[in-house]
Amino acid sequence: MSLLKLQNIHRVYQIGDIEVRALNGVDVNVDRNEYVSIMGPSGSGKSTLMNIIGCLDTPTKGGYELDGMVIHQEVKDGIGIASDDQLAVIRNQKIGFIFQTFNLLPRMTALHNVELPLIYGGVPRVERLERAKAVLEQVQLSDRMHHKPNELSGGQRQRVAVARALVNNPSIILADEPTGNLDSKTSHDIMDLIDNLHKKGNTIILVTHEYDIAERASRVIHMLDGKIHEDNKKK
Amino acid sequence: MFNQLYESIVIGFKAVFQNKGRALLTMLGIIIGILSVSLMGTAINGIDNVFNQTLGMFGDDVLYVQQFPWFMGNANWWEFRNRPQIREEYSKKIAERASSISYASLETNRRVTLSYKENNSEGVDLSGRGWQSAYIDAAKIECGRYFTQLEDQSASRVILIGSEVNKILFPNIEDPCGLSIKVNGLKFRVIGVFAEQGKIFGMFSIDNMAVMPFQTLKSVFGRSQWLSVSLKIREGVDKEYALEEVRAITRGLRGLRPLDKDNFAINQQEAMEDELGKIKTSIAAVGIGISALSLLVGGIGIMNIMFVSVKERTKEIGIRKALGAKRWVILIQFLFEAIIIAMIGGMIGLGLTSLLVGVVNKFFVASMSLGLVFTALGVSIGVGILSGIIPASQASKLDPIEAMRFE
Repeated sequence: MSLLKLQNIHRVYQIGDIEVRALNGVDVNVDRNEYVSIMGPSGSGKSTLMNIIGCLDTPTKGGYELDGMVIHQEVKDGIGIASDDQLAVIRNQKIGFIFQTFNLLPRMTALHNVELPLIYGGVPRVERLERAKAVLEQVQLSDRMHHKPNELSGGQRQRVAVARALVNNPSIILADEPTGNLDSKTSHDIMDLIDNLHKKGNTIILVTHEYDIAERASRVIHMLDGKIHEDNKKK
Repeated sequence: MFNQLYESIVIGFKAVFQNKGRALLTMLGIIIGILSVSLMGTAINGIDNVFNQTLGMFGDDVLYVQQFPWFMGNANWWEFRNRPQIREEYSKKIAERASSISYASLETNRRVTLSYKENNSEGVDLSGRGWQSAYIDAAKIECGRYFTQLEDQSASRVILIGSEVNKILFPNIEDPCGLSIKVNGLKFRVIGVFAEQGKIFGMFSIDNMAVMPFQTLKSVFGRSQWLSVSLKIREGVDKEYALEEVRAITRGLRGLRPLDKDNFAINQQEAMEDELGKIKTSIAAVGIGISALSLLVGGIGIMNIMFVSVKERTKEIGIRKALGAKRWVILIQFLFEAIIIAMIGGMIGLGLTSLLVGVVNKFFVASMSLGLVFTALGVSIGVGILSGIIPASQASKLDPIEAMRFE
C-alpha cells in the first residue's frame, strides 16, 4: 500500500484577474521507504507540489492521502479540505521539513530549534530534551547544541534542520533544495546524511534542479507545466 | 497544552526584553494612565481618611446655628453678610424651648498669640465656649480636664490648648497643666490639652487652637459680633426632626413670618460630607478622564508596536506554523507580549504612584490601598488584551508559505 497518494491534483492561483494553473492534474503514489527526487524548471509546479505534499498548501481540486489518512478528498462538485489547525497537526506528526534557507529560528539555540516540533506536539519536557539531544547526536552536532544558528556554519545549520525534521519520527521527509545554499563539499556531506536517512528506512522526497543530486534518488520525477512529464524508477 | 502555553509566555517575555527601549516608550501611555488613575484613587482615599480622622470632631449629632452657611456655593455673600447677628440669648432660649436638644452652647472665635516664657505660638484659633460644650464637643482631651460651669460663669482665667500649641509652648514639658501662659499679655492657667486631631488637607492644623470659657473670653476681649450656637441633639431623636424644631424656634426668635426666608443658617457635619463628596466626584471625573485618555493612547501605542512586532516576526511565525504550531499558540504568543508590555507599564505606574504618594503625603493626605493596586493591574491587563488581540489574531492567520518567504 502506498504511503502517499495524490489523485488528479490541481492548484490554481488567482492573482488579480489572471488565473495561474500551477498544478494541472498530478497523480503520484509514493511507497514507504522510497527515495524520490522531483526535478523541473522554475514554474513547472514542483514547489507547489511539495507544499501540497507538505500540507502547507491545499489543492483546488483532487485527493490526497498520507499514511492511511485522507487529508483532502474530492467530493461531488468540489473538494473537502482539512482546516488550518488540522493541517498543523499533520505537519507536526507526519512531516519533516528540510528547507533551502534552513529556516531556523535565529534567537534560539540549536537544541531549542530541534525541540520546537516536540513542543507543538505536546511532548513532556524531559522526553523532549532526550529526543532532541539524540537526533542532534545522530547528525553529529552534540557539541554545538547550545549554539545559536548565527554561531554555526551553513552545513551545521542544515544539519540542525535535518535533526529538527527527524525529531518527530515523521512518515515522510521533504527536502526542498536542501543544498541550494551550500558549497559543493558541504552539499556532499548533507546529501550523504540524507542518503543515510533513507538507508535507515525513512521515506524521502527531494526537490532539486541538480542532476547529480537527483541521481542519488531511486526514482526521479520530472515536472513540466504543472504536470508530471517523466517518472523514472531505477531498478 | 501547558507546554505550549508556557512556551508562548516565555516567547512573549523574550520579545519584550529584546526590545527594551521600544517597549518602554510604548509603555509611556499606560504608565501615565495608571499613574493618574491611582493618584486619583489615593487622593480620594486620603480625603476619606481626613474626614474620618478629623472632621469627626464636629460630631454627627450636633447642629450649629450661625449667620453664614458653611458652604455658600454661588449665593450672594452680601445677602448673608447683611443678616442679623446671632445673639447670646439664643443659646439659652433654644435649649429651653427645643425638646430635641439636650445641650446648647455659645461659641465665638478669634486669633490670638499665646506665649510661655520665650516660646510664642502665633495665629492660634482661640474659641470661647459655654460650659455645656463639654457635652457637645467631640474632641478628646489628652491630659487635664474641661472647664466647669462655675469657671464659665465666673469668667475664670483658665484655658485648654491644642496639641500643636502644646508642642510649641512646652517642647520639653510632659504635662503643662497648672502652668500659666499669656494670651495677648494676660495670664491664664492651663487646665487641659486636647488630643492630636491632624491636619485638614495638610494645609492648616486644627490642633493650633485653644479653648477658654465663653464668659472669660467675653470679659477679656469684649463682646464678639460673630457668635455661633452649638446644639447637641438629644439621644434617640430624629435628626431631621431636631433640625426642623430648631429652625422653627430660631425663626420665632427672629420674628420671621411664614413666607419670609430664613435669615440664619443651621449647619451640620453632613454639609461638610456633601461638600467633600463633590470634591471627590470632581477629582474622580478629572482622574478618570485623564487616565481613560492616556490609556486609550497607550493602548493604541501597544497595538501599533504589536503590528510592528508581527511584521518583524513574519518569517518566524511561518516557521512555527510549518512545524505544527496551531493558530491559538501563535495568538497567545503575541497576546502575551501585549499583556506583558501593558502590565509592566502598569507596575511602573504603580511604583511611581507610591513614590509620589510618599512625597505628597508631606503636604497632602493620600494613601494607597491594595484594592487600588489590583484595579490598576486589572486595567492594564485589560488594555493589553484589547490592544493585542487584533495584531495577534492577524499573526495567527498568516499563511505559512507566504510568511516563510518574508525576509
